[in-house]
Amino acid sequence: MNRFVVSRSYSWSYLQGRHHALWLSTVLLCCSLTATAQTITQPGDISAPFSTRATHLLGFANTRNNSTGTLSVQEDSLQFQENGKPGAQVKIGSVRDVFLGAESKQVGGLPMTLGKTAAPFGGGRVVSLFAHKKYDTLTLEYVDADGGIHGAVFQLEKGKAEAVKNDLIAHGVTISSHQDQATKESATEAKHENK
Amino acid sequence: MKTSKCNLSIACGIAMVVIMLALPSRLPGQTATEKSSAKSEKSATQWSVQVDQVDASNLDLSYSFQIAIYENLVEELNKTKQFQQVFRDGDVRTGELPNLLVLKTTVQKYTPGSETRRAVTTVSGATKLTVRSQLLTREGKIVFERTVNGDVRFFGSNLRATRNLAHNVAKTIKQSSWSSSGQLTAPLTGQL
Repeated sequence: MNRFVVSRSYSWSYLQGRHHALWLSTVLLCCSLTATAQTITQPGDISAPFSTRATHLLGFANTRNNSTGTLSVQEDSLQFQENGKPGAQVKIGSVRDVFLGAESKQVGGLPMTLGKTAAPFGGGRVVSLFAHKKYDTLTLEYVDADGGIHGAVFQLEKGKAEAVKNDLIAHGVTISSHQDQATKESATEAKHENK
Repeated sequence: MKTSKCNLSIACGIAMVVIMLALPSRLPGQTATEKSSAKSEKSATQWSVQVDQVDASNLDLSYSFQIAIYENLVEELNKTKQFQQVFRDGDVRTGELPNLLVLKTTVQKYTPGSETRRAVTTVSGATKLTVRSQLLTREGKIVFERTVNGDVRFFGSNLRATRNLAHNVAKTIKQSSWSSSGQLTAPLTGQL
């Protein structure tokens, strides 16, 4: 007597729901595949070139100071390419050491500084309290063809310097020393910045 | 008699004019030869310099600062044109050079600053560096020794202190009496 009656409309919506679920799972599967493809280009895998945005502060061969561009680790060279200009590169084999550090900088550059100075009632100082950002610094030590030691300092987004360093190590750069100090130094600088 | 007197006076006048004309022409000649001899002497004693890596001497100075001081020193010394060539530490070409000086830089004091503190308070947060700069010969004889400061007090990043420091070191070397004479004398010590 008590028959389980399923209405036609309900079963239709159930089927539609199943279609939606199937569609959603397909999309999720595709997304996960894309994510896997992205992780392939992450540092550590030497087959794919790794690149990241960076600001060259000083020292890299044939590159203007304080220029922004792309820092990439190619097969046998470390390349920095300014926006729209030919890249400068250094052989990975000539890199002797890599050091990491941390810096906190005011954002906005000169226009922001001028604006803050012109702001009345010390408003600029209040803005300065919040208008700062933490960066990683990547310091490289490499030698030229004559054996002369060069140094280059890059500024990268937080967390990116470690990735570049790991990629350089994967490409055969031997970090000779000072590793403990590098982390200590970052901690000290961060402490000073937070004061 | 009268004509002979007249001739004598004319001859004297001509001689005086000749002497007058000859003297100034001879003087520049003299200075030119003096200049050329001084130039040749200076070129004979033209020195090259090798910039050694910075010695942080147990101070908690970050590597980016050490490298920045070193790189800025190379750049600033090149700008002064006081040295025939500026070499980097480890350059094999310095092996055959007869007139080579070595610039040693030892960090004596480092006060880490903060760009944010400088921007907020203006009076605090300065990054300060004090180094001892020495110019030595191959034999280890010190020809120049100074304590030089570099800092950033108001605008700019912390690394700017290294640029100011290198500029001050190069300026001190340029202004020193050693630089003007080009001779190796007693070491010049002092503080800037």
